[in-house]
Amino acid sequence: MGETPALRIDGLRFAYRAGEPAVVEVGSLALARGEQMLLTGGSGRGKSTLLMLIAGLMEPDAGHVVVDGQVVHALHGAKRDLFRGRAIGMIFQTFNLLHGFSALENVMAALMFSPVPKREHRERAGELLKRLGVERVHAKPEELSVGQQQRVAVARAVACGPALVLADEPTASLDPENAANAMDLIQTACRDAGAALLCVSHDPSMAERFERRASLDELSSAVPA
Amino acid sequence: MAMSDLTIIGRSLTGRMFSTVTTVVTVAVAVGLMFVLLSLRDAGRQAFERGSGNMHLIVSADTSPLVSVLNGVFYANAPQRPITWERFRQIADDGRVEWAIPNQQGDSFQGLPVLATTPQFFTHFTPAPGEPWRLAEGVFFEGPFDLVLGARAARLTGLRVGDEIHLTHGRSDARAGGAPAHVHYDFTYRVAGILEPTGSAHDRAIFSDLRASWIIHAHDRRRALDPNSPRPTEADLTDDDRLVTGVYLRCVTRGGAATSPLVPVVASELRRDPSIVVAEPKAEIDKLFTIVSNVDQVLLAMAAVVMVSSGIGIMLALYNSMEQRRRQIAVLRVLGASRPRIFGLVLTESAVLGALGAAAGLGLGLLGAQAAAGVMKERLGLVVLPSLPLDWMVVMAAATVVLASLAGLVPAVMAYRTSVARNLRPIG
Repeated sequence: MGETPALRIDGLRFAYRAGEPAVVEVGSLALARGEQMLLTGGSGRGKSTLLMLIAGLMEPDAGHVVVDGQVVHALHGAKRDLFRGRAIGMIFQTFNLLHGFSALENVMAALMFSPVPKREHRERAGELLKRLGVERVHAKPEELSVGQQQRVAVARAVACGPALVLADEPTASLDPENAANAMDLIQTACRDAGAALLCVSHDPSMAERFERRASLDELSSAVPA
Repeated sequence: MAMSDLTIIGRSLTGRMFSTVTTVVTVAVAVGLMFVLLSLRDAGRQAFERGSGNMHLIVSADTSPLVSVLNGVFYANAPQRPITWERFRQIADDGRVEWAIPNQQGDSFQGLPVLATTPQFFTHFTPAPGEPWRLAEGVFFEGPFDLVLGARAARLTGLRVGDEIHLTHGRSDARAGGAPAHVHYDFTYRVAGILEPTGSAHDRAIFSDLRASWIIHAHDRRRALDPNSPRPTEADLTDDDRLVTGVYLRCVTRGGAATSPLVPVVASELRRDPSIVVAEPKAEIDKLFTIVSNVDQVLLAMAAVVMVSSGIGIMLALYNSMEQRRRQIAVLRVLGASRPRIFGLVLTESAVLGALGAAAGLGLGLLGAQAAAGVMKERLGLVVLPSLPLDWMVVMAAATVVLASLAGLVPAVMAYRTSVARNLRPIG
């Protein structure tokens, strides 16, 4: 028997209203631990919705999402939320850092909902930020450069040692040079954390960074290679 | 220190400091107002009961028992109708009466009331049970034209022991713009003593010897008939001159008890005489407070309305903040916070606002009650000791927190129902 995949999707389907065409339709998809994959598709094609479904923040109409061996939608309420906090990290285009909280606190916020002992939170968050090149750990997000904010967001995503990191258009607001730097950071951080990375983007220039890539259209009918 | 729910709540409150402070102040004002009203209510009654001291009954020829108490104990007005000396003797000679102290009101000095009485007033009557008169300086009456000043009267007039003054007939205060009054220039009084404060209305009174009062008023009456009539002496006084306007009366008690079973009997018998009014000060003050309690209840209702308004204030403050916080809530959900935990965070934040308001309100109320007590002492001469039992304070604080939590329900439900997908970024 092989290692449990970080992500497995079977027959996933989601439509906003019954009878309407599906916004998300994924026949089958598997991602091993440490594997990195780019998912492409134009605006409004359901990329972010797919990530929300994988994270258990939306309910599919059909199909299964299995993360780190756990059928996500078989869990309910707080159990699913705690599982998400422990097993899935998320990175957003706008970073979505908590305003009013320092860089360190933003990373510790992710640890709040994890099984990591409280006494280790500060040290663990501090080390992670340092490793990712954030020196001003007590600065608020608005006091940091965009690049530094991105590093904080990445640190928060991998803080709990997740099996899977979901990145939603992580470079959409950056110029090409910073976009490249950001992707270097994300991919390296995921690799170091042993987490699988599923990155969705409409930017075709990202393709060369990923060995595995697929469009949503391809996923809707076939198992990607 | 690790992040906790309280860190998030604290940061949320400090992040919108103006809103937090105004909300807390609103709650604090409501709690403080309630505290002041509750703490002064009983204290006010106790303060009013001080002046009647150890007397059981007050007898006068006023129009009603309440007026008799207001005039006789609180110096509201000078009684208009006198009691004859003969009637007074009948009352005082009753074997069931331990003491009966006659007094006469009608004169004043600089608008302050003068109570002409006998030395028994200082030796038998006490302004509060178990708290006898004490002199700050000087002595009690030594001669008929000696005066003893209440503590506040001494402060207001600036008189010192040894000073000499003339009393004014009636309560008119020409100094304060009142009509010119008749001054008893023919008789000079000397300040013999100044009393320690008693915390009663007696503090603003001036006490003179009843014999002197009889003499100067007999003189006035005789001069009205014959301008050349000589100054009368005590020996010249007749029973017609010996008029009293009030009698402080105490019935015989057993073993120094505060009350006596004879009081209702004596009072009932005296009430058969239509020319006099007999009042039990404590009962009249109770009646007065029953009347005042309606106002009291209106004030309490107003305080309750302010409390509810402050609850609505909390709700609005949190409700308005929800729009800005939806993204934060969505991020926390992504990080692993459950819907119930988010609900609890907002509800706890609301409760914290209530708790801060309650704490500030109790402090504010304590200061307010002290200030109100100070004003009452300054203006009315009443010693009010604001007090609220600890369990009442706990109940008030708990009720405020519960009210605040209820006010937080709507925003908490909004937070609970916050859509993560919709609030993180546009769906691609």
